[in-house]
Amino acid sequence: MTLNTTAETETAKIARGLRERDRELLADLVERCQPRLVRYLLYLTGRREYAEDLAQETWIRVLQRGSQYNGRQRFDPWLFAIARNLAIDYLRKKRKAVQTASLPDDRDEILLVSSTGPSPFEAAARSEDAIRLAGQLQILSPLYREALLLRFQEDLSLPEIAQVLGAPVTTVTSRIYRGLAALRSAFEEGGDSPGV
Amino acid sequence: MIRLECDKKFRELIDRCFVEEVSAEDRRLMHDHISGCNSCKRYVELTGRTIRGLREFTFTSEPDSSAQVREILAHHTETMRQHNVQSKIWAAFAVALSMSFVGSALVYQLVKRLAVPMHFDTAQVQAGVLVFWLLPSFCSALCLLAARGENRGIA
Repeated sequence: MTLNTTAETETAKIARGLRERDRELLADLVERCQPRLVRYLLYLTGRREYAEDLAQETWIRVLQRGSQYNGRQRFDPWLFAIARNLAIDYLRKKRKAVQTASLPDDRDEILLVSSTGPSPFEAAARSEDAIRLAGQLQILSPLYREALLLRFQEDLSLPEIAQVLGAPVTTVTSRIYRGLAALRSAFEEGGDSPGV
Repeated sequence: MIRLECDKKFRELIDRCFVEEVSAEDRRLMHDHISGCNSCKRYVELTGRTIRGLREFTFTSEPDSSAQVREILAHHTETMRQHNVQSKIWAAFAVALSMSFVGSALVYQLVKRLAVPMHFDTAQVQAGVLVFWLLPSFCSALCLLAARGENRGIA
């Protein structure tokens, strides 16, 4: 009960600060969330340079639309949802610029573009197991990657992930299971199955 | 075949145990099963290892990334604050201007009635309202736009 009240107070404080465009609160939020935001965008786009730029854009959007945060839910899922929408719009624009064919209507499909360039996952791997997973993560669908990150690194609940993704909880669980199945193959003997 | 069905059922349960909130009964069921099933035990180990592996990625953002974002936000906050003040000033000016004209019209009507017993003609009343009411109130409204600094926009 005390924990709930504390959490409510914290989110209400953030909501008020965002409405008033409180500089100190914003600086504090940036300090707390920036590394996690960049990590989330890395998982989503697979490119470090996109992630850093999009993180900046996300904070500007938070400043502009801060009054829309109602303080009833946690701040992190709201922040990630903004970042996700921006990433999709950004990738859509980039794709539009290089191809003349019509783009898919489904926003999530925009994320399914294979990323090129050096893998940010290999550089971030801090254990032997992580190194083995890095290769699989690079070829794994970003949709599964982001679901895995939000569940196991951000420790968001399934409904919170659903809120970020704008998808039903069943879709979220299915993406997590499929992602886990693909990554598990990195540890299976002789398992070098392709990403999903 | 029976083995496969058993595996499928329990592997779904194992996945659920790692990903979702499951009842104590389901958790016990899984533990009971893996104690006697090597294949599912291995599955649990691999899944646990995968999840632990996922937590062993450390991404560092650019060293000055947060500072840069804070700077950009401070700049945007200031720009938005200035924009907000400008909008308020123009709104206040519009209100003051309309009040100046509406007020002048009302004062003119009132003074016109009072002017009859006091033997003022219409031109005198018009000049009086213009000099002593319309012009001062119009200038006050203009002052809102001309004011400087923090007091700008405050009537």
